[in-house]
Amino acid sequence: MKKLGLILIALMVLGFGCYQPHDKRVHLREEIRSDSLDSNIVTRPVVHAFSALLGEGLEITEATTRRNDADLLELHVSGFNKSFQTKRFRYRVEWLDNDGFLIGTKTSVWLPMSAMGKSPFSFKAVAPKPAAVDFRMDTRKWE
Amino acid sequence: MKGTILNFVTVIAMLIAGCGEETVNIDVMHDEGKPVMALDYRDFDVAASELVQSMLGSGALKKQGGGRYVVATGRIVNDTMQRIDTDQLMAKVETEMLNSGQAVMTSAIGSGSDKLIHETRELRDSEEFDPGTVAERQTLIAPELTISGKIFQRNIRYDRNRQQVEYYFQLKLSSVKSGLRFWQDEVIVGKRGSNKSVGW
Repeated sequence: MKKLGLILIALMVLGFGCYQPHDKRVHLREEIRSDSLDSNIVTRPVVHAFSALLGEGLEITEATTRRNDADLLELHVSGFNKSFQTKRFRYRVEWLDNDGFLIGTKTSVWLPMSAMGKSPFSFKAVAPKPAAVDFRMDTRKWE
Repeated sequence: MKGTILNFVTVIAMLIAGCGEETVNIDVMHDEGKPVMALDYRDFDVAASELVQSMLGSGALKKQGGGRYVVATGRIVNDTMQRIDTDQLMAKVETEMLNSGQAVMTSAIGSGSDKLIHETRELRDSEEFDPGTVAERQTLIAPELTISGKIFQRNIRYDRNRQQVEYYFQLKLSSVKSGLRFWQDEVIVGKRGSNKSVGW
């Protein structure tokens, strides 16, 4: 019995040893890519349960801005859904002028967004007028 | 005895009526109310916001050599099963186009036209008005771009008890002179719910 355990561990180590990381820009989901510890049929329920226990959710990895050709500020937000569940949420971007004053716009509404489990996500927002120099963004649960 | 029962029933009826759902104002900034099968203001807000951001982000309104485009609102077709005033969408879009500083909307022509602009020009021969205060001939500015679109609906039976209603918001921006289309986009709002609820 002990030997069987050792063989299993050795196979797993060998399996992971053969794993070659692919281009990070290409995301392969569970059941498409080769099995890993979190997608293996045996270990998956434990890993999923542990993730839920930890309360894993969304993480924003980057929020960058640039001026587009029309001189409007563009916000590009990238993130990663650390949980195994699809997370649906709403976000709202507010734009601020040089004095930090809020720019009134009909586009600052709660917009829907979703991120699949263990997947990256990104979205873009465009300022309503060139006076926008900064932003603030809020999120809330999709009702 | 009869009178007592009647009084009792009346009191109960009044109590029930008193316990009815009270009317509340909607917090339109952070509305957490349940979605409805028909289009509500939140759907128009989302559609207008996404379409405007797409249009501004595309650079289609950036005029070569500076200045602002003169834009006329064309026909916005309501091809849904609901009675919709398409201004619910276009008022927001037009406001943002104006606020962007890249376009001015014309009220002289198109679906957003103001009759008074033409009526006041008919006062040229009137003896009641000072001719110097009446708009001269050839002062109206013709549009360079038109914005038009369509809102349509598709109802699909999802399963035995549920239906799927899809609403499509489409807008396009075209040059009057060349007829070329500078920008167009579509926003889909989809809802899935009971067969009993109607999407119109």
